[in-house]
Amino acid sequence: MTPQTARRANLAGGAITILTVVCAVIWAFPLYWGIVSSLKPEDEVVRPYIELWPDTLTFEHYVHALTATQIGRWYLNSIVTAVGTTVLTILTSIFCGYALSQLRFPLRRPLYWLILASFMVPTQVLIINHFVLVANMGLLNTWAGIILPQLIHPVIIIIYKQFFDQVPKEFREAAVMDNASEWRILFKVFVPMNWGVTTALSIVVFIWSWNAFLWPFLAATKTEWMTITVGITQVNDAFGIYYARELSLAVLAGLPVALAYLLFQRQVTRAITLSAGIKG
Amino acid sequence: MADIVLDHVSKSFGKVRVIDDLSLTVQSGEFIVFLGPSGSGKSTLLRMIAGLETIDRGRLLIGGRECQTVAPGQRNVAMVFQNYALYPHMTVRENMVFGLRNIGMASDEIRRRVEEAARILEMDQLLDRRPSQLSGGQRQRVAIGRAIVKEPAAFLFDEPLSNLDAALRVRTRVELAELHHRIGTTMIYVTHDQTEAMTMADRIVVLNDCRIEQVGTPMEVYTAPASRFVAGFIGSPAMNFLPVEVINSDGQALATLDDGSTIGLPPDIAGRGRLDLGVRPENVGIVGEGGMTTGKVKVVEHLGDRTIVYVVLGDGTPVTAQTGGHSQVRAGEVVGLTFDVEGARLFGTDGLAQDQAAAI
Ligand SMILES: Nc1ncnc2c1ncn2[C@@H]1O[C@H](COP(=O)(O)OP(=O)(O)OP(=O)(O)O)[C@@H](O)[C@H]1O
Ligand SMILES: [Mg+2]
Repeated sequence: MTPQTARRANLAGGAITILTVVCAVIWAFPLYWGIVSSLKPEDEVVRPYIELWPDTLTFEHYVHALTATQIGRWYLNSIVTAVGTTVLTILTSIFCGYALSQLRFPLRRPLYWLILASFMVPTQVLIINHFVLVANMGLLNTWAGIILPQLIHPVIIIIYKQFFDQVPKEFREAAVMDNASEWRILFKVFVPMNWGVTTALSIVVFIWSWNAFLWPFLAATKTEWMTITVGITQVNDAFGIYYARELSLAVLAGLPVALAYLLFQRQVTRAITLSAGIKG
Repeated sequence: MADIVLDHVSKSFGKVRVIDDLSLTVQSGEFIVFLGPSGSGKSTLLRMIAGLETIDRGRLLIGGRECQTVAPGQRNVAMVFQNYALYPHMTVRENMVFGLRNIGMASDEIRRRVEEAARILEMDQLLDRRPSQLSGGQRQRVAIGRAIVKEPAAFLFDEPLSNLDAALRVRTRVELAELHHRIGTTMIYVTHDQTEAMTMADRIVVLNDCRIEQVGTPMEVYTAPASRFVAGFIGSPAMNFLPVEVINSDGQALATLDDGSTIGLPPDIAGRGRLDLGVRPENVGIVGEGGMTTGKVKVVEHLGDRTIVYVVLGDGTPVTAQTGGHSQVRAGEVVGLTFDVEGARLFGTDGLAQDQAAAI
């Protein structure tokens, strides 16, 4: 590289950096605004101009959220349903992906097409059916009722199938020669060889299901069965909306997901690229 | 240790019949090599023995036990794959014990076998490493170790050396031969490399187009190839095939080349008429004067210990000659050629060696 081209590359790099920073700021601002507002007294929140920092810093809304609402119960519901959804989704998808990829049985291809096709149907379309079904099963206001319809994630199955397809066939053959049962081939060879995928997918399924709103909102009609995302909507009372209070709850609701993002950044990015690769 | 018998086996992939009515007996303790070009059915045959491909018809006997419908893991054979297929998430030791755990073997027996295998293959210090921390040669060794711990009746190798560099391949070849010598277990080894076949095999099974062309010791297939295919496939540079007319004259067999010159053949050689005379390059001599025929030198290759000379006869027939390392022959020269016909073979238009054809 001549000094001149080097300088030009530097300039371009600098411009891109500035652009990304600007985008990041625009993206992050609402988040910042939300957090800052949740730390302001209610009357300060509704002032008609922008104040980037509270005049009086207060934690009263958090105290209120933690003491005067059922937030503990909502957290528990969220944790149980999100973990349950994640574990069951991953497990069933592993089985299904393995069967589609490695086993030979009648109607395997039609089954795969069916799964691919179901991928085109948005869950919202089915939500009335789900509701009637779950209601008839008597599962409204239960953890199982919140979990069951959330287990439908064809994309996870397809990702597993693709990863299992990529395992060279000699590994399966070696395991067959090694007298391994189908279970052991799956759990001792195929799953461990694809740990990265499982971690990444677990994290995204967890985040999806933690953030789920529409279904838990329908399935939990009683306050004590609500997940935290639904619970937030319950803090307005007869006198109108308390913005700061709601925001403090929203921050509390988002905290675990934000933590998950921070802790597992790499896997999350990977998982999102994985599912985007399929969706795109 | 066990003998392996393929008894009139057939195999189709979909509608395509690949192996058709093939029979072969591998003696107990034998090192047998399946040799043939790409697509000749070597792997398919090996995988049928392993159980990784089904046998459509016929019987497979391993140590006298009928095995064609037995599950692969139950056939008491161990396979070493070309890419080794070592489980990447397991250590070397875990790789070796995986198969033993699966059959519920007692843990002291497992330990004994792993120690024994590690000793035989001199790889104690590798046991706790992952495959990714091993060199190609070490991985190869572990793959063999994983087979050894099973103490199988037979080892099956599918081109196990083809991922190694040339020097390592030669060394591992020697080690494998030595291993066979030491443990004496039946081994079936698939390769398309004739040097590997010639150096390691007790017997070579030459395959072409999914059929057995010849079964014999390395010397047999080299000196008495049963067909033109075997003659051309084994030996480097390849055997010369000269179109000749063979006649009897005064109790002598005489072969007339297309350029009109004649070569006297051994009197007892089988076959008369229009045939191909097979002569190995090392049996073609280059002389200044008084050769049996003459030809023009096209290319000379000096390999140090020997020289390969490519000659074209008057009628256009190509002949390859191999002479000593200090040959002074130059391209463009016209030289005389002599043929040492002591080991020469005659092949008919059907590709069969004439003594074979006569025997049938
Ligand atoms: N799974 C399969 N489906 C269809 N045809 C196959 C299959 N496996 C092998 N064949 C065919 O069987 C024949 C023999 O193949 P095989 O793999 O045994 O050859 P090979 O001698 O091992 O060749 P190479 O040296 O390239 O490994 C080939 O014509 C091949 O196309
Ligand atoms: Mg092959």
